[in-house]
Amino acid sequence: MTWKKMGMFSLIVLFSLFLVLPNLSLAQKEVKIGVILPLSGPLAPIGKSLKEGAELAADIVNKKYPGIGIPIAEWEGIPGLGGAKIKLIFSDSRGDPAWGAEQAKRLIEDEKVVGLMGAYQSAVTKTASVEAERAGIPFVNPDSTSPDLSKRGFKWFWRVTPHETWFTRDLFDFLDGLVAGKAQGVKAVPKSELEPLAVAAENTEWGAASLAEIEKFAKERGWKIAESFKYPHKATDLTSEARKLTASKAPTFLFASYVSDAILFIKALKEMKATPRLIWGQNAGFIQPDFWKTLGADVNGIVSRDVFSSVLGKVKPEADRINKIYKERSGFDFDGSSARDFIGVQVWAHALNAAKSTDPKALQKALNELHIPGKELIMPWKGVKFGSPFPGDTNQNELGSGIIIQYQGYPDGKPEIVFPFEMATSRLIYPFAGWK
Amino acid sequence: MELTAQLLVYGVLMGLIFALIALGLSLIFGVMNIVNFAHGEFLMMGMYIAYLLSTFLHLDPLISLPIAAGAGYLLGIGSYHILIHRILRGPMVAQLFGTFGLMLFLRYLAMYIFTPDVRSVKQGILVGKTLSMGWVNVDASKIFSAGVCLLAFAAIYWMIYRTKLGRGLRATSIDAEAAKYMGIDTKGMNALAWGIGGATVALAGALLAHFYYVTPTVGMLFTLIAFATVALGGFGSILGAFVAGIIIGLIMVISGQLVSELKFSFIYVVYFLVVVFRPRGLFGW
Repeated sequence: MTWKKMGMFSLIVLFSLFLVLPNLSLAQKEVKIGVILPLSGPLAPIGKSLKEGAELAADIVNKKYPGIGIPIAEWEGIPGLGGAKIKLIFSDSRGDPAWGAEQAKRLIEDEKVVGLMGAYQSAVTKTASVEAERAGIPFVNPDSTSPDLSKRGFKWFWRVTPHETWFTRDLFDFLDGLVAGKAQGVKAVPKSELEPLAVAAENTEWGAASLAEIEKFAKERGWKIAESFKYPHKATDLTSEARKLTASKAPTFLFASYVSDAILFIKALKEMKATPRLIWGQNAGFIQPDFWKTLGADVNGIVSRDVFSSVLGKVKPEADRINKIYKERSGFDFDGSSARDFIGVQVWAHALNAAKSTDPKALQKALNELHIPGKELIMPWKGVKFGSPFPGDTNQNELGSGIIIQYQGYPDGKPEIVFPFEMATSRLIYPFAGWK
Repeated sequence: MELTAQLLVYGVLMGLIFALIALGLSLIFGVMNIVNFAHGEFLMMGMYIAYLLSTFLHLDPLISLPIAAGAGYLLGIGSYHILIHRILRGPMVAQLFGTFGLMLFLRYLAMYIFTPDVRSVKQGILVGKTLSMGWVNVDASKIFSAGVCLLAFAAIYWMIYRTKLGRGLRATSIDAEAAKYMGIDTKGMNALAWGIGGATVALAGALLAHFYYVTPTVGMLFTLIAFATVALGGFGSILGAFVAGIIIGLIMVISGQLVSELKFSFIYVVYFLVVVFRPRGLFGW
């Protein structure tokens, strides 16, 4: 009899377990997000860091990370979906637009992902997002900066990062801010001290676009340009180009250059004992480790636009705490790319939470209405909110911004943030002290 | 006036380096009628020698000059004995692809050993020092390099036109077959041409490293200019390489001043004009 009773009891327990199980399985439900990144080929190292940034964000959403200071760290899954976990399905774009589009298709049709993310290179993002648009699946792009991407009027494409136009506007906000006396530790600079500008840009698509943007903004904001030219990139010698800059007597030099040319320019200017008051680089060569490793103390005082700096933790303690975890996992600090892919997953988590469903239409609505305040982000942004910040933009984050860093105290220094002025981690060194 | 002085100085100083780079290429072609595509990689190797000695042994890059030249000589001779003299028996295409393969091998070997990172020599008596001469401020190492280039040219010129060895080289270049019958060790002469070619270009590399960055693909930038220089000066002509190097340096600086975007086009326009109107070059035979 006892055995019979035991059997009965077991059956009842099992039965009640089955009753509870649907809830259990709901709690364990996964939401698949496809992530397309260049995981092989020359961009593989960057792809790997992007992947680690995204993985960390998913981990922070899925597990409890007390004390970080941002809401997703307390969630343990998506609250709006009954605690469902985010599962990232990574796919290698090989850096190839056609292959990237194939992968988007595969993720949507075979993996049945709820949405897509990626793809770093603007050309790959362009083709992969077409597949998402066709299928009516949301594509969140945290890391591509070609202005065209958000000007296609797509209904299923949201870009989180600021694009190139923005960064050039930042430069002019920085220059105008200097004149208005907004820079930390520098008195208002008379405009005549910074004007006219001299611009050198490499003759590639990117260099030409940068030059055109600078000329456009200079005209709009009333800054005179004394000299602007394109030069053959990866040149054997840039002395005559550097001479052209110094001969223009312009106090402000602006560059759009790859790293080898950036090095040649600075060396040539040093050789000529040039005395500009401000040197600004459009990202690229001016923020590569090779740039400051090669030039050492000669980089001090040079400013460059950037999207992220490891000293950001000084003004954003959350960023510092998350960076520490990231460094433990990956062995290096966040950079502008990995930090943006972290935010990409954060955007997905918030959208899924608000939509309370994985239905594409509900997600579309949630993304359109999304608002993440700046204090929850590890980037120096005012937040994430999609709109049309520049003419022609659709679903482009309006609250992003770039930063401008200044090399200080090299060869042992760090790039300090000097713009946005309210986020500055150090006083701006102005004017440029020249080379010894 | 100021502009003219500056352009003249920068153009001539850079031109002398171009001339020294082109010298070896011209010599090898003159003696053996073979184009060394790996020439730029020899240059890159000279640059890395200066970089390595300066970074790891803290030797002044000036000391690395004879070391680089010696290593370049060995590399040249070694390339000849291991690869070149074998492919000489093959058709012209085999010779072209042979040195092309050598170029790829050396470039990607450097890529493997040193990674594609951009590096530079940071210490040295002349590194980063600027001299002021009236209107013109010039890197001291460029002036020094120009001096070394002049000396190297004088030495090679003397060797070729005033010594028995040089006579052997010239005889081989004019008619290898006849020279062989006259008892000249033409194989030895070929190897010597490769040795001198390697030594001069590696020396140019070590000089260049004073003020230029080092990376595995750096040779490519200079190889194309060296080809134009050799064609302009005349294949096999030492004086030609010298004059043409300076002309190319001046064209580069002046066109860089006028329309920077087109400066390489100007060089190749001049090259094209030479090919059309004076195919043997300025001093070729």
